Amino acid sequence: MSKFWVIFKREYTQVVKKKSFLVGIFLTPILMAAFMVLPALLAGSEQTASEHMAVVDQSGLSIGTRFEEALQKYTVGEDSLPAYVFDQVFEVSVDDNARRISLVDSLSAAIQAKQIKYLLVVMPHPELSDNNLALVTNSDDFRAIRRFEQSLTDIISAIRLEHSDVNLPVDSVLSLTRSVDLPLRDSQGEAIPFEVKYFAALILVMLIYGMIVTYGTMLMRSVIEEKSSRIMEVMVSSVSPFQLMLGKVMGLGAAAFTTVLVWVLLGAGFMLFGGTAGASMMGDAISRMIFNPVIVVFFVLFLISGYLLYSTIFALIGSILNSEKESQNYIFPIVMILILPVMVGIGVVRDPYVMWAQIMSYIPLFAPTLMVMRIMFIAPTQMEYSLFSGIVAEGTISLLLVVAATIGMIWLTGRVFRVGILMYGKRPTLPELARWIRHR
Amino acid sequence: MYLVLDKVRKEFDNKVAVDDLSLEVPQGVIYGIIGPNGAGKTTTIRMIMNIIAPDSGRVLFENREADGRFTDRVGYLPEERGLYKKMLVKDVMIYLAELKGKKAAEVLPQIDRWLTRMELIDYRDRKVEDLSKGMAQKLQFLTTILHDPDVIILDELFSGLDPINMELLKDVLLDLKRAGKTILFSTHVMEQAEKLCDHICMISSGRKVLDGKMSDVKAQFGKNSIQVEMEGDGAFVRSLPGVAAMTNFNNYLELRLDKGANPSAILRQIVDKVEVKRFQVVEPSLYDIFIDTAKVSRTKLMGEGEEARRV
Repeated sequence: MSKFWVIFKREYTQVVKKKSFLVGIFLTPILMAAFMVLPALLAGSEQTASEHMAVVDQSGLSIGTRFEEALQKYTVGEDSLPAYVFDQVFEVSVDDNARRISLVDSLSAAIQAKQIKYLLVVMPHPELSDNNLALVTNSDDFRAIRRFEQSLTDIISAIRLEHSDVNLPVDSVLSLTRSVDLPLRDSQGEAIPFEVKYFAALILVMLIYGMIVTYGTMLMRSVIEEKSSRIMEVMVSSVSPFQLMLGKVMGLGAAAFTTVLVWVLLGAGFMLFGGTAGASMMGDAISRMIFNPVIVVFFVLFLISGYLLYSTIFALIGSILNSEKESQNYIFPIVMILILPVMVGIGVVRDPYVMWAQIMSYIPLFAPTLMVMRIMFIAPTQMEYSLFSGIVAEGTISLLLVVAATIGMIWLTGRVFRVGILMYGKRPTLPELARWIRHR
Repeated sequence: MYLVLDKVRKEFDNKVAVDDLSLEVPQGVIYGIIGPNGAGKTTTIRMIMNIIAPDSGRVLFENREADGRFTDRVGYLPEERGLYKKMLVKDVMIYLAELKGKKAAEVLPQIDRWLTRMELIDYRDRKVEDLSKGMAQKLQFLTTILHDPDVIILDELFSGLDPINMELLKDVLLDLKRAGKTILFSTHVMEQAEKLCDHICMISSGRKVLDGKMSDVKAQFGKNSIQVEMEGDGAFVRSLPGVAAMTNFNNYLELRLDKGANPSAILRQIVDKVEVKRFQVVEPSLYDIFIDTAKVSRTKLMGEGEEARRV
């Protein structure tokens, strides 16, 4: 077994054998799923039972009764129970403010006591100002609120029509003025909502980012530890510094790749067996996007080359430092460079071909995250002729640049590494570093 | 010759660390590289190990350039020691042997044998960080010899070891020598080299000042040293005719005589002034030889000796 493999094996097993690795590999997807699913669950939590409400109607226009009728079309559950049960609809005469106020007070108390969920208060002349309407509730269920808004819009529009000079049937006017829901279609006739694209891209970018930061810093710490524990000299008396560096980079990279592989298999398994039952529509759309072959290929290649590029940078930094404390100052800027494409991501969503994004895609440090993000926005709708489309060409050039930069970086780090790992004490100045690199 | 350094030179930042140093190490001997701290011992050893490249000169092993194949046949214990703290004792041993081209199965039986001999067997399945400093040093020594190297290079092996462990390691070294291994070791503590080495090379400021077989080196200097044990102030002895150098240990003097000086004449003059308990003509110590040949100031070497005793 060559010495590279001895080092590779140890670096790989010492990560993979750790309990924290196992915990992380299974806990992270659960946490990620929770992060994505929970807000949706909480916000649009499925209604399971009828919700009780009350109306205090001071308009004198029977808005409460009309509202109750309008909401009857909504049902809940398989038994088609009414979604909203009107416990009480109080009609208050237009000038009896005192009664309205006392009713609202007592019903608010009922909401506080969770006897009813919603209280609609209609004051005189709601057709004149929205300020004359109010919904009292402790819930933020935006679906219910949107339903109420729609129903009230219809009711109050009808009232306004009755009071106007327009001599047309109310129903026909309402249907004539119904608001338009603009459907999105791209040039290939696909309709992928913006959130889906953004989320799908974010998942892949965060994977690349997470792997590089986690295993890159692990590599740096391990180099620093070997330096500070003074085992480095024993190591380089057995293997060349280059073998050592490469063994460490590859060994930890294999651990990172194992993680991604397990996650992809878990994801695929989930799609195959639990997908239709459990996954939301959005989750389904996201996974269909991610498992697009063009994207998978680019993701894997950018993950590997990006990891190699950044991890050799981390190895270089580790080799010139003496303590882990010093390393903190260096992690932050690297992380910033890596995450920049995500922060400017919104701009890329608006136009993946925007000039600065195209230029940045050819800068190897930005390319892995940015290019994957752009391909994600463009490629899924161009699957049919994807192999020939511009983004694939752009992605290939960008990938080759990353590979070239990686090879250069491995060479450079190799030069610095062999000197740096045996230097203790003062950090080298830039001219000193240059001398190390030139040194034979 | 087995291991040869041919005019090896190394500069750091325009300071010459090793200056055209040539060595010839025969097979199967204990070879000592001796000199004060900063003399260039570690740099020399690192060049032998191919850890740093010499600016000029060559390192030859069995008449061939010492390269990767050579490093597998060497066990190297650097002055700066360390092991993976989180690894198990046996795993560290296997790993470092694998890096020397051995298979785990080959070294496993050896591991138990050596750990038992070093009284570390109870720690076989414990983490390295559980070991005391002395135990860690013994373990480090074992990792140096576990892969059964032909050449063993030890940089300041004994520094920081207690006398019992020192004895333990010394016995192992002698066994290894008996088994035909070549042992190269550096030290700044002359007494250690004196007891152990067959061959020595003294270096000072990167240059060789003297080398050869221990017995030859000593014979070359002849029996021109005197040890005097006495009561009273011996300071006057230094100025007696025939005394070239003196180390004063208060109640004990070590004298080096000029060539041809007569010990009896000196004894007579001492007896006149102080109470002499013992007077002995001896071979010079390496320490004396070093001072004589390297022209290093006594205080500098003394300082080194003091430091060696402290650590």
